[in-house]
Amino acid sequence: MSRSDLALDPMDPICLEVYRHLLASVAEEMGAVLRRSSFSPNIKERRDYSCALFDPAAEMAALAAHIPVHLGAMPLSVASCVEELEMGPGDVAILNDPYRGGSHLPDITLVAPVFTGAGPDASASRASGASHDAGDRLLGFVANRAHHADVGGQTPGSMGLASVLSEEGIVIPPQLLVCGGELQTELLDFILESVRTPEEREGDLRAQLASIRRGELRLTEMCGRYGAEEILRYMGALTDYSERVARRFLASVPDGQYRFEDALDDDGVSEEPVPIVATVTIRGDEAEVDFAGTSPQRPSSVNAPYAVAVSATYYVFRALIGEEVPSNGGILRPIHVTAPEGTVVNPRPPAAVAAGNVETSQRITDVLLGALAQALPERVPAASQGTMNNVTVGGWDPARGRPYAYYETIAGGAGASPGSDGASATHTHMTNTLNTPAEALEYAYPLRVLRYEVRRGSGGEGERRGGDGVRRDLQVLAPAKACIMSDRRRLAPYGLKGGASGHLGRNILIRGGNERELPGKACFDMEPGDVLSVRTPGGGGHGQVRVARSTAARDLDLHTTLCLPACPRLGHRSVDGRDPSGT
Amino acid sequence: MSGEPLRIGIDVGGTFTDLAAIDRGGEIRRRKVFSTPDDPSRAVLEGLDLFLDDLGAESSIPAEIVHGSTVATNAVLERKAARTAFIATAGFRDLLAIGRQDRPDLFDFQSRRPPPLVPEELSFELVERVAHDGEVLQPLDEASITPLVERLRGLEVESVAVCLLFSFVRPEHERRVGEALREAGLHVSLSSEVLPEFREYERASTTAMNAYVAPILDRYLSRLERKLPAEKLRVMLSNGGSAGVEVARREAVRSILSGPAAGVVGALHVARQAGTDRVIGFDMGGTSTDVALLDGGIPATSEGAVAGLPVRVPIVDIHTVGSGGGSIARVDAGGALRVGPESAGAEPGPVCYGRGGRQPTVTDANLVLGRLPPDRFLGGTYRLDAEVAHDALARLGEAAGLGASSRDREEIARHAALGVVRVANARMERALRAISVERGHDPRDFSLVSFGGAGGLHACDLARTLGIAKVLVPPSASVLSAFGMLTADVVKDYVHTIMQRGDTPFEELRAAARELEVRGREEVGAEGVPSDRIEVRPGLDLRYEGQAFEIAVPLAEDFLARFHAEHDRLYGHSDLDAAVEIVNIRLRASGRVEVPELRPLADRVEETAPQDMERRPVVVGLTPGQPDRDPAGLDVRETPVFEHESLRPGHRLAGPAVVVTKDTTVWLGAAEMAAVDEYGNLLVEVGQMTGAGARR
Repeated sequence: MSRSDLALDPMDPICLEVYRHLLASVAEEMGAVLRRSSFSPNIKERRDYSCALFDPAAEMAALAAHIPVHLGAMPLSVASCVEELEMGPGDVAILNDPYRGGSHLPDITLVAPVFTGAGPDASASRASGASHDAGDRLLGFVANRAHHADVGGQTPGSMGLASVLSEEGIVIPPQLLVCGGELQTELLDFILESVRTPEEREGDLRAQLASIRRGELRLTEMCGRYGAEEILRYMGALTDYSERVARRFLASVPDGQYRFEDALDDDGVSEEPVPIVATVTIRGDEAEVDFAGTSPQRPSSVNAPYAVAVSATYYVFRALIGEEVPSNGGILRPIHVTAPEGTVVNPRPPAAVAAGNVETSQRITDVLLGALAQALPERVPAASQGTMNNVTVGGWDPARGRPYAYYETIAGGAGASPGSDGASATHTHMTNTLNTPAEALEYAYPLRVLRYEVRRGSGGEGERRGGDGVRRDLQVLAPAKACIMSDRRRLAPYGLKGGASGHLGRNILIRGGNERELPGKACFDMEPGDVLSVRTPGGGGHGQVRVARSTAARDLDLHTTLCLPACPRLGHRSVDGRDPSGT
Repeated sequence: MSGEPLRIGIDVGGTFTDLAAIDRGGEIRRRKVFSTPDDPSRAVLEGLDLFLDDLGAESSIPAEIVHGSTVATNAVLERKAARTAFIATAGFRDLLAIGRQDRPDLFDFQSRRPPPLVPEELSFELVERVAHDGEVLQPLDEASITPLVERLRGLEVESVAVCLLFSFVRPEHERRVGEALREAGLHVSLSSEVLPEFREYERASTTAMNAYVAPILDRYLSRLERKLPAEKLRVMLSNGGSAGVEVARREAVRSILSGPAAGVVGALHVARQAGTDRVIGFDMGGTSTDVALLDGGIPATSEGAVAGLPVRVPIVDIHTVGSGGGSIARVDAGGALRVGPESAGAEPGPVCYGRGGRQPTVTDANLVLGRLPPDRFLGGTYRLDAEVAHDALARLGEAAGLGASSRDREEIARHAALGVVRVANARMERALRAISVERGHDPRDFSLVSFGGAGGLHACDLARTLGIAKVLVPPSASVLSAFGMLTADVVKDYVHTIMQRGDTPFEELRAAARELEVRGREEVGAEGVPSDRIEVRPGLDLRYEGQAFEIAVPLAEDFLARFHAEHDRLYGHSDLDAAVEIVNIRLRASGRVEVPELRPLADRVEETAPQDMERRPVVVGLTPGQPDRDPAGLDVRETPVFEHESLRPGHRLAGPAVVVTKDTTVWLGAAEMAAVDEYGNLLVEVGQMTGAGARR
């Protein structure tokens, strides 16, 4: 089917929309099944997963995404399965190898091909009239990706400070987890033996399988109803459609070359900043994104696989396009991403990558937005908190008599936009995971949340203010190993057009009343009673302050540290909605 | 039956206030009056006077009034309720502001959660802390309570929500604070009373909403009580039941979203009368469509939200999609035809209303297709402007590129109209799939009950797509919410998080349930229901250890087996060896209300085809067998139009046909057959889909 044929179709605008809903509902239903049947809070409470449909050429046709960082990585996962495996009916492939379509090891992806003959309902629906199908024809692929709370490696939660990939956990190259409908128990057992919490992993993997099966079923049902020919045609038409919308947007951006540089604080090993550079060239209805000038890869986990760089690029353009365009491969067609090999945005194996997905991805986004702010000053916001503040805690739970591994990310401030203040206490850009309720956490693990509040005044000043970060204090009740993987502890989120930077984040270990400042990236032991206090960065401000405000931020953490548990805090005096003095 | 008082259901909507009753003769009586949004009680009282007049002699008999209002819901939507404060455990003052830390829109840089109902400057905290096992880690700082109460009075706070961590395990701290606040004359909502369930943000949000709307509801009910005796007044709840005014005042949040809930209750009643209780309720209005799946009873969920804020009390499980008769059609930047969620609303309304609307809507499309006769809208009281609608659709068709070949404008308009209807249907189909297939139900096992002003034009097309064999359109379609209130039981829901291991002896669980049962019987009995009509249904919320989503099963000795089976049904897998957690114990206590029987229509006719009022050309679809690219594929047929009032039990009609009722229009496609039953319901046998393609 060539594109010009479709252009002649008089029903195109209508069927496009009908199929957009049909395909999107398949991906959404897969997500509903995964979320409800999974075991770990990470997938269920935090929704750290995505589901997608692909056409036979492995181009993404529909996506139900909750996590932007999965956007670009999903297609590369499917591509590598297609390349490395011969998949037939009833097969499901599994992978997490960051160098073959994965992003970081905890994100495990399942991919299954869908054929016209498959699915329990297919024969019945074929009998009911669709005459298009002739034998088992490839309709496309369904895939899902979920963040598993532990995949082995040096530290519980598998988000530690490793220097090579093998230290971060089990590496699964694309291979068949299910072969012709048969679960490959040897492979499953091998995976489960390599992780700290095998029951939970098995539950989550089974949930992923259930979701894959549901996707297959719906797609083959659709095929029975509408015929393979038409479904394939509209998968193609929908990606063409998204491409058109993307090109229209790019054509509206002034031609030119826009460069921006920012950096990660450090790589967790040395204190050397990790510069990231993007040059965005807009020419007509195409864009070229080049990361030349970016730091060489590092002997730590801040390396972001190429898939992550693509995800960030996809996210930035998808958000700027504005219109509710279907999330599929068409958006990326006019956008060309070049990432020099051997850099932190396209490392060579066996570089470790755990933080690349969660931290470096945020900085890539900041850099792209910084570049595009020059082209679209009226659209682009100042920098948001620029980190996910990844906390992992694990060890032995004496009360429940079992090991545990707990992972969470903590919200911060959003950057101010032209015309609106940044949101406070929110996840920004490449993630959108929910928090774990304190009560759910304390039921499940030997942990206690002592404080969870907005870090007032941490957003950058400006005509429009950056959003405030948060403070979350987590106490351990039993000896534990903990890791914090965070950034923007030295280099603040930038403001734009004269707006001030957001305030830096801080990580503090409180032991017996003594506070010890921790680096942005650290793994350490915790004793019962120890408190990890994470204070997340604010967003950058936008525009110069026109009227002097009496609310310039001082020592942000003063009011919270002064207020010991013995003093009742009766709210805050408020002049313009902000704590004026910290008393 | 003579012992039963006459009941009147009153549904206060945005535009109309509907009244319904079943009179002594078993006939449904109804009346519509305009709502009075500045003081909704005015329309209620005026409408009631008129209605009692209508009912004639019966007005002397004291009537019981079940009343559903949007007072609480609107107060939240418009942010116009009481000045409310929030009190949390020290360290958690920002619970409402932080929420679950996510943003509503992934791809919007300015995306932010709706602001909490309680502003920052009215959020406070108290030193105290309880652990998950009930241990007091930090005693309540009693000394700080009095200064806090003083402070709240100084701030002119009217209502206070208190949500302390693990208060559902140990409620003493909340109660102590509550006493002090009540003594000071404040409205008080304690989370351990409103929703003793774990997950602090959702509990706090529900409690704050209760506190926020309670004073408003209180004042509103007081206005009604000036004219109506309190003991005759009942309030519809969002769980599909009703409650007395005192209970409604205390648990105000439970009256939110009660109108749509009553519609589902009404739909179930109508369906049961027609011999089925497995139905999908389809309520398509002007701006949105509500769908609900009923598998033998009223579906409940604890995952509701109002204006983006979570409400965790059990509510009738209704899925809403922004697609209605007033949804606007347009061609977007990529050349796709989009319908909604933007709506022309009541003002200016669709183009054909002739009130200044310029953008074509779903209603305009139905008019252009001939399925909505322009001179019979709202019982013929309002004439629709077909010419402007044709023009608007033709412009849309040209923008969509449908006029590329040599069609005339009329044809372009019709093609565009067909497209608008199909796209609107695709959105609604997605909603219907979300409540059925996504939750493990096969829609083919259900009938579709259509109500709401716009539903009848789309119900058969949707049923056909989903493989649903029967559509039921009740004669009371447009006042089904008011009708549902007549039939609503007295319902009280109880929940308590217990977090026990799955091997907890059944006897222990039953003892825990018995406590709730005693309370439930007592409280429902206090609402005047005789004990032999009270029924209690205890249940458990279970999950595999480590999961974060619970499945509800009835409390029975084999509860574990039921849980595994339900998990398997919903998600396709279960694990008999895995540890199970008992998260919540639940109980629903219902007091059955005697509903007067409807009298069948007397004048049954032999099975015949009725007389049509007129025949008019209607676009039935695309001509079958035409190649995809043939632009001349419109299937237009001379189609009979019937008036519902003239139909009698026994009448049968074959599609294509249009049936016009007082306030809705039903479209029967070419493959449909319909019959009229003895209660005036239109029962449609839906034709099977023929041919492939989404372009039917």
